[in-house]
Amino acid sequence: MSILTRASRNVLYDLGRTLKLLTHNRVGFVGLLGLIWFILLTFAGPSLVPLSQESSMTEIYQPPSLAHPLGTDFQGRDIWAQIVHGGKDVLIVACITGLISTTIAVILGSLSAVLAGIFDSFIMWLTDIWLTIPHFPVLAVLAAFVKLDNVWLLAFILSFLSWPTLARAVRAQVLSLKQRDYVEAARALDLGTRHIIFSEILPNMMSYLAISLVFSMTSAIYAQVALVYLGLVPFATNNWGVMLSLAWTRGAIYYRDALLYIMAPVMAIALFQLSLVWLTRSLEEVFNPRLRTSV
Amino acid sequence: MSAITALRNLPNTASGRAIRLGRRLVANYVLRRLIKALITIWLVVTATFFIIRLMPGSPVEIYIQEQMSLYGMSYDDARAQASAMFGIGLDRPVLFQYFDYMGNLLRFDMGTSYKSFGTPVISMVAKFLPWTLFSVGLSLLLSFTLGMLLGMITAYRRESLLDHVLSTLGSIFSSVPNYLVAMVIIVLLGGYWRILPIAQMRGSMTPGIEPGFTPEFIGDILFHASMPVATYVLTTVGGWMLTMKSSTIATLEEDYVTAARARGLPDRRIMTAYVGRNAILPLVTQLAISVGFIVGGSALIENIFVYMGVGKLLIDSINQRDYPVMQAVFLIITVAVILANLLADLLYSRLDPRIRTGGGGEA
Amino acid sequence: MNLHPSSFILHPSEDQVVLTVDDLWVEYAARRGVVKAVRGVSFQVQRGETVALIGESGSGKTTLGLALIRLLPRTARIPRGRVRYYRAGGECDVLTLSPQELRRFRWQECAMVFQSALNALNPVLRVADHFRDTAQAHGSLDGAEAQERARELLRLVQLEPDRVLRAYPHELSGGMRQRVLIAMGLLLAPQIIILDEPTTALDILTQRAVIDVLRNLRQELEFSLIFISHDLSLAAELADRVATMYAGAIVEIGDVYEIFEQPRHPYTRGLIHAVPTVTGDLEQLSSIPGSPPDLIDLPPGCKFALRCPYVQARCRQEEPVLEMVSPGHFTACHNWKQIDEH
Repeated sequence: MSILTRASRNVLYDLGRTLKLLTHNRVGFVGLLGLIWFILLTFAGPSLVPLSQESSMTEIYQPPSLAHPLGTDFQGRDIWAQIVHGGKDVLIVACITGLISTTIAVILGSLSAVLAGIFDSFIMWLTDIWLTIPHFPVLAVLAAFVKLDNVWLLAFILSFLSWPTLARAVRAQVLSLKQRDYVEAARALDLGTRHIIFSEILPNMMSYLAISLVFSMTSAIYAQVALVYLGLVPFATNNWGVMLSLAWTRGAIYYRDALLYIMAPVMAIALFQLSLVWLTRSLEEVFNPRLRTSV
Repeated sequence: MSAITALRNLPNTASGRAIRLGRRLVANYVLRRLIKALITIWLVVTATFFIIRLMPGSPVEIYIQEQMSLYGMSYDDARAQASAMFGIGLDRPVLFQYFDYMGNLLRFDMGTSYKSFGTPVISMVAKFLPWTLFSVGLSLLLSFTLGMLLGMITAYRRESLLDHVLSTLGSIFSSVPNYLVAMVIIVLLGGYWRILPIAQMRGSMTPGIEPGFTPEFIGDILFHASMPVATYVLTTVGGWMLTMKSSTIATLEEDYVTAARARGLPDRRIMTAYVGRNAILPLVTQLAISVGFIVGGSALIENIFVYMGVGKLLIDSINQRDYPVMQAVFLIITVAVILANLLADLLYSRLDPRIRTGGGGEA
Repeated sequence: MNLHPSSFILHPSEDQVVLTVDDLWVEYAARRGVVKAVRGVSFQVQRGETVALIGESGSGKTTLGLALIRLLPRTARIPRGRVRYYRAGGECDVLTLSPQELRRFRWQECAMVFQSALNALNPVLRVADHFRDTAQAHGSLDGAEAQERARELLRLVQLEPDRVLRAYPHELSGGMRQRVLIAMGLLLAPQIIILDEPTTALDILTQRAVIDVLRNLRQELEFSLIFISHDLSLAAELADRVATMYAGAIVEIGDVYEIFEQPRHPYTRGLIHAVPTVTGDLEQLSSIPGSPPDLIDLPPGCKFALRCPYVQARCRQEEPVLEMVSPGHFTACHNWKQIDEH
């Protein structure tokens, strides 16, 4: 059996075990449900709910009704439809960022732990420096110079900011696993670095990687929405961040009728973040048995 | 071979003594951290310089182009003006420009603002910086103290109703982006329910009041800072609480706590000096990260609350393409965070004697 | 299994007894069931004597020690038994003391000193702070007195007071920490000191130093010592009486010379023969086959039966009670008469 098949079998087994543990924890289960709901909403929803771009001056800031479950915005457009259509960008960027930064973090972090020596010191020094620099100002300044109109470019830059924290955590995990017996055995049998990483260490870190992935997603969402809100990212489509920005600048503070227009994206983003974070709570329990409350 | 045994084996000559002194300095935790902070600052300063100067579409080039197209200046004139604007001698080779730049920085000369023509950047920074320091500092203090206390309480009263309520609330507020919390405060409490007088709370102080240590002034600045501070505290206290809780739980299981009870020490003493003092250590290491996060978030929070701090200044300068200000504020913010990290590291070494003697691991 | 404490009186005069443990049971609540860590233990400690509790890990010896000062974890409970403590002027049942009284009892009357390998000292406090905390907690010594006594005790355990008092725990070696703990134990002049594994995790030279210190202390000061260990040779050096424990019960107890010369329980015998001597031949070395029983699901009859070379049918059905071999020497074995060294 090749290394990859064996590794993927371990991964699947681990995922199955993880799912079971996830549903066992109440908070985690709610988080999982929330995540599924949002994925359905933003990817399946648009085909069910039509989005109209026309403005209707007679329907500005209408209260919720059957036709407009969340009311209308400053141009009379349906808010609910905007919410349904507006999550895609956010989720896609979050996913891509999460994947990129987790991949970089895993590769550099585990190599750093396994190879040790100068490579390790260098990577650690790099992450150290990176961690002492405040991230959002860097992003904001970068956005001033680089046109972040491309989803991939945005994701790449965002992931560039979050991989150091993850890499450190991955390295710590790998270091602790490195001491375990089965790794010592593999090393004694001279099975090679690649085998050690993929077949012995990684499968045991799957849940941990899942947590890291989710966390990088949450920070990507934070940064992305913030950049859009501040107007530092030129936006073409209407997404939650854009809704936020428009609602704010159109004076949602002053018009009481505009409450829903601003609260809708706020709640959408907040609930999505919550779902992600709650999902990790149960994953955390997997690693910190002290936090477990029952058997 | 530990530093101590290595020290002993050196001959007692002048060079031997020098090497001993050198080794002891290197082993000194405080010094190591200080040097690391200085190197990081230098790196950031250098990187900022090169980005501003050398990146394609660099602000200097853009400025020069603008001056040429808008005002019909010649390249040389435009460049000379840019030199004055950015405080860099543009007609000299890059390396000399770099030295000029560094030299200026050391003299606190950061050029003049682009938009507010002629205003030295340093004076703008000096006007905005204290507000950020005040609000962020106050928030950190409140959040840390509250989080520490609540963390210990929830650890001692594990699984109680209080524990569940606090943990859930803390988790919710920590997960939601802080700027959203800020918006909700304004929109709901201010705009919709009209509980807070947000119009008056705008800005960092009410114009007209004399600055000074008077209750009137202090009351006023607290009034204006209350919303930003509330936002920072609400969104960070949960994290502190959770860390302190798990740290306390772990510490309660330590042998020296059992041994302290065996010695008949009163519960109060055990809670403060044996559990508390040890459980707080992981929090202090988190302090450094927290500073960076709050300061980073200040760019947004201050914007939302129209609070006159450097965060707002940064975003304004970015939106206005006021490069000298942008550059300076970015530098200030970054240096402030690095220094705060250094302070946190030093604080940790004060609290944990194992770190001080150089044999302990990195914090 | 109820053993009458009167069976254990070594000397006729009652006022020499400082501690009486009577039919003590300790249980832990675990996921799989109830762990019976201590099962019906009874013994007495006289004034000034040294009793060694010897057993493998899991025999219940540390639990027994913790129970004597009620320092058991929350999952533990004491369903039966009494622990009576005697002093000039009164006696009390430790198990029924109020929290306030218990706090005063601990360290002042009975001090339990843990292993140095455990971090029994608070890493952020200096040694002097530990002494001060202890003195202040009991209020019987004022600041200066406490300082003086601490220095005296540290000298008695062969440590340099000035250097040690100023140090943090991580700056001291394992042996030094153990001696600091012992000195601290004596600070309030308790009648009983319980030492839990005093020499485990120390190298052989440091072990020697600690043993010498203990011997010296016993001569200089008056206190009863209970020490808990798996190391039988320690008992030979320091103890007046030895009790071996197996699966939560005392299986043999008696005068140290008698026990070593003629053990009357297969387990004790096994322990003695497992220790190599400098002059002995390798053939005489033997180890006890098998492993200790599951304390949740204990087998009927004698708990040592599965590993016993003298086992018979009766052993598997009937758990043996402590029988007298000679005055002061008791063993819990049906076939003790068959065990003969000579």
